[in-house]
Amino acid sequence: MIDDRDELIERVARSLSPLPPNNSRAKAQILAAVRARRARAPRPWTVVLDWMRQPAFSVASAGLLAAAALAIGFVTRGALATLNEPQAPLASSAGATPANPNVTAIPAANTPAVVRAVPVPITFDSPGAKSVAIVGDFNDWDGTAAPLTRFGTNGPWTATVKVMPGRHLYAFMVDGKLVVDPRAPHARDLDYGTDASVLMVNTP
Amino acid sequence: MKQNIFSARVTACAAVALLAALSGAGAQQGVQSERRITAISDDATRSVVIEQLSLAKESGLPAGAMEPLMAKAMEGVAKKASSKSIRSAMDALQKRLRKANDLLAPSPTAEELSAGADALYVGVPEKTLKQMRQAAPRRSIAVELGVLTELVARSVPAAKASKMVLDLMAHGATGAQLTAMNTAVQSDVAAGLTPEAALDRHGRGIMSLLPPPPAVTGANHR
Repeated sequence: MIDDRDELIERVARSLSPLPPNNSRAKAQILAAVRARRARAPRPWTVVLDWMRQPAFSVASAGLLAAAALAIGFVTRGALATLNEPQAPLASSAGATPANPNVTAIPAANTPAVVRAVPVPITFDSPGAKSVAIVGDFNDWDGTAAPLTRFGTNGPWTATVKVMPGRHLYAFMVDGKLVVDPRAPHARDLDYGTDASVLMVNTP
Repeated sequence: MKQNIFSARVTACAAVALLAALSGAGAQQGVQSERRITAISDDATRSVVIEQLSLAKESGLPAGAMEPLMAKAMEGVAKKASSKSIRSAMDALQKRLRKANDLLAPSPTAEELSAGADALYVGVPEKTLKQMRQAAPRRSIAVELGVLTELVARSVPAAKASKMVLDLMAHGATGAQLTAMNTAVQSDVAAGLTPEAALDRHGRGIMSLLPPPPAVTGANHR
């Protein structure tokens, strides 16, 4: 038994003895690789953490951080606004009843706490017009904000505008001139003397 | 010490990010308004609009009130009104918005402010706005105010219209039901019925569909 064990030790010793000599080329390669790894640009979060750990406060770095935060703020708000936009109109939805019988306000998915703009399909008959836009308190009476497009060659002018629930005053700008909607109730304007049409939009 | 610096900087980062995010909407809106103001071709009108908006800000009107003010100014521009008319209209609206802001406290939305100012414009009593806010303190009442404004603008007596809308709100009528009532009243008036009779008819009709308001419980309730 003891003899057998000695023989085994002898075999292990024999197999271990021919270890390769110290390879200086391999060692240089390994060290070069380690140096290259250290020289590589650190990850962004590492930079931020390092900055936070530095004992001195740098105005330049604070300014850069503020600029980055502003950019993130704007981008995030834009993304959230897009997410909050109502879905495309559904033909048979109910819940919004405009004062204009020609206009059907279509509600969008909503949460109880947040009131969102509702997409309202608009139509207007004016066969001879060259350009038609809807202007109102919902778009600062801006003639370029909501142009209508003609349906076919001589069809009605149509558009969909997003309007917050409530009562709104509007008019059509036909070839640069304001025209009230003949199919909607009118509101008397004591300020400027030109009446407007009334649009009622419900909370979806 | 090192840990204190670390936490101070983390807090600074969070504060800067929060301020940036909060300022985002205001800045975007400001840019849009600025674009609209610079697009006003008439110098006198442009000066009036800038002056009135500045006055509104200085007087402490909330940011939400700037939207209807801007819309009123641009309505005047679209209607080719004189700078004098625009100043007068913006000044009058500013006063109504301030009143609406007080009556619809604590934090009316831009739409509520605009709707409240419109309601006051057609002659809705001030106390009605206060009562409507009390009836619905946690949701927007822009639609309800709009319906009331329309009813009064169509010659329904303000007191009667106010009572009907408040009663319907107390019974839990939805904005859609109120709007439907308004449309029906207008149809009846166009068909020859008096505004009062039309409101009675359709107001009662909607009321009959609603459950009674919840009982008020209090110390004297036995």
